[in-house]
Amino acid sequence: MRIRLLFIAILSALVCLPAQWYPEPIRLLFSDWFGAQDYRARPNSLAATELASEVACPEDLQAWREAQTIAGVDIRSSPTCVADNPSAVAAFVRGTNNVSQQVLLDSGLTPDAVEKGRDLDGDGDPDEIHIRLEVAELNGSSPDLNELTAQYAIAPGIKPGFWVFVPKTFGMATENFESLKARSILRVPSPAIRVEQGDKIKITLENSHYMPHTVHFHGVDHPFVDADGEGNDGVPITSEQPVMPGGVRTYDMQPRQTGTMFYHCHVQPQVHIMMGLQGLFIVEENRPDNWLQTLNVGAGQVRVPSVAVAEEFDREYDLQYLDIDRELNNLIQASSDPRVITEQMHNRYDITDATSDYFTINGRSFPYTFRESLVVTKPNEHIKLRVVNGGSSGIALHTHGHKVTTTHLDGVETNPAARVTRDVVWIASAQRVDLDLETTNDGLHSYGSGIWLFHDHQEKGITTDGVSPGGNISAIVYEEYLQENGWPKTQGVDYDPYFTEAYYRKELPVWGGLAGSVFLMVGTDRWMLLRLLGFALSLGMIIVLLLGFIRKRAH
Amino acid sequence: MSAKKIFFAVCLLAINFFPLLQAQQVDSHVAHNMEDPRGQNDMGDLQSNHGEHNMTLDSDGMAMNSNWQTLPQDCAKIIREYKFEVYAGTEFSSDYPGTIYGMSEREILVEPCSSVTIKFINTDDIRHQWMIHGLPRYLYPGGMFHLEAAGGQIREGTFIVPSDDKTYLVHCDMAQHMEMGMKAQLKVGKGSGDLWSIPGVSRSFRPDTYLPKASRNYLMLALFVGAMLTALILHLWRRY
Ligand SMILES: [Cu+2]
Ligand SMILES: [Cu+2]
Repeated sequence: MRIRLLFIAILSALVCLPAQWYPEPIRLLFSDWFGAQDYRARPNSLAATELASEVACPEDLQAWREAQTIAGVDIRSSPTCVADNPSAVAAFVRGTNNVSQQVLLDSGLTPDAVEKGRDLDGDGDPDEIHIRLEVAELNGSSPDLNELTAQYAIAPGIKPGFWVFVPKTFGMATENFESLKARSILRVPSPAIRVEQGDKIKITLENSHYMPHTVHFHGVDHPFVDADGEGNDGVPITSEQPVMPGGVRTYDMQPRQTGTMFYHCHVQPQVHIMMGLQGLFIVEENRPDNWLQTLNVGAGQVRVPSVAVAEEFDREYDLQYLDIDRELNNLIQASSDPRVITEQMHNRYDITDATSDYFTINGRSFPYTFRESLVVTKPNEHIKLRVVNGGSSGIALHTHGHKVTTTHLDGVETNPAARVTRDVVWIASAQRVDLDLETTNDGLHSYGSGIWLFHDHQEKGITTDGVSPGGNISAIVYEEYLQENGWPKTQGVDYDPYFTEAYYRKELPVWGGLAGSVFLMVGTDRWMLLRLLGFALSLGMIIVLLLGFIRKRAH
Repeated sequence: MSAKKIFFAVCLLAINFFPLLQAQQVDSHVAHNMEDPRGQNDMGDLQSNHGEHNMTLDSDGMAMNSNWQTLPQDCAKIIREYKFEVYAGTEFSSDYPGTIYGMSEREILVEPCSSVTIKFINTDDIRHQWMIHGLPRYLYPGGMFHLEAAGGQIREGTFIVPSDDKTYLVHCDMAQHMEMGMKAQLKVGKGSGDLWSIPGVSRSFRPDTYLPKASRNYLMLALFVGAMLTALILHLWRRY
């Protein structure tokens, strides 16, 4: 009986095993005997699914893009689809203590968010500046609802956890009670800070988060201790205790040198910096009537440039690069207990084993970068790009169609006679470079009008978890290539797939949008699967039967 | 034999799901906590149409939609006047492990059609909020009344509740403050059940598990022992 069963099982295994997996000598032998096997059509392509695409360029309902004057501040137009709130820009320039209640309400800021005091040197602008920053968590977890809190997407469907320094606001963290989306002022990266050389600066960290934090001013001239002997460097292992949840600390400085600098939390920096507690810190030249846009929310275009920058350049952009290891950033989404999160992030997480999954410029990845991080220009302009690499490894910043000139490194001017002009600029972690992007069509600085990408040329940087196009791709766009609504007049592939979550979940064919494309996702061969299951079943029978024989013999 | 089985199963279910039964209307409450009344999106961005809110804002904080005189449609008069002092800050989280922020009053009980005055005292150095949701929208734009106190400041405000028995969500809406313990409820009359995740009142709907690190080993061991015991019992049974 057993022998007969075993025989049947072996036969069935042989029949079920697909012929293509027989050993090659046997296959060749069969080929000689019987010739080639009959044609069997390969599986059909899967039908293209209906794309649930987001709107690429949301309508500017509140007219935030237009050039406008608010509280006497001339705010430049913001040509991209999505613009900063101009009322907040005006309040940052005048000081939240110096604007009307209406401007303040429109800005969402508290009256003490950026206080501007006396004009100490009598040159027509305030020199006492008091900035208050809070800490907000984006894409955090809820102990009740199976959805993230204060949501912020870097690309369709991609919501890593973040901690950011944010301007002091009033009201809710979300757009409204019905929405789970963070309001627009709470975003990545932390705002770029702009102060004037020689100004008396106070920066108060109001720690509204659930972990201890500090602010360290990297490259900015500041004393190690303040006038009272209190730590002023933000480094817990040398200068001070960290600021606990619910607590505040004020840092004092009067920077003597200008330049593009950096600020970040220095508590458990390998985690806190990478979580997003970092931003640009720019010290501008002291000029008369130099009303600075003290904070640039989400970095990007500076809508009210300083006097010195406006003299030399036609436009100015703050660019902050950050790569994200999902294994770190999403830890805050796995628990609602701060003790558990602390242990997971600071004891268990090991950055030496880290790999980056997401690559952002100004807090977004492609295609969202095309909404708000384009560098817009006309021919024959000079554009100042202040770039910081806030990420864990270097970036090879490449500009298509242009060679840029490095004017400053880490805030220090390079020798004008020996400046380097090139199309790949290496920027190590925490380094800043000031670039002069010249759009003169001379075949060197620019090859002419168009839509020219700029991105990290280490190729992982142009992906989102390995899916391209994604990552920190953005573009230099000449105005004639920009539509009325701010979306570039691209003439390549359709963007609809990129504005779906499915594309970055790796569920859409990369060339599905191409007309007549044969490269669709391939269907499955059910018959093949059936045969394999049959084979496995038979094999199982064989094993059990053989074991039975062995046991019998042992008895 | 089978009666015993059923009893066992019921006990097991009761142990596991008693908390769910206790906080009635699971779905509606979770929804109420954060989503209600999502879908009736008639409020828009607070920052963009604050015009319709009645609001005061200064560097000590803000009060929004205070109302001490206009009666809800279903109330003929104010039945009672309440005044509560609510302290808020990190120190009020200390009795509840795993929270960072807290409020002194986490359950406020009032009679229908009463006026409620909240004196909100912030003992931290950062700002906090006392925000209540779900009030009638014809009286309170967005259905909310909101006090916000800057660090170390006090804010006071009054609102009048309608007549129906209902539990209202009270929280601080700064990022992660509610999640970290700044959550309370206000019950009008008998209320309409408890909300989830209110420190000292109700547990979390999606709590952490807090298992020891080697728990996987313990589980595997238990699985193994269970299998072995069963085999042993079967063996003994067959034998005798
Ligand atoms: Cu930190
Ligand atoms: Cu709070």
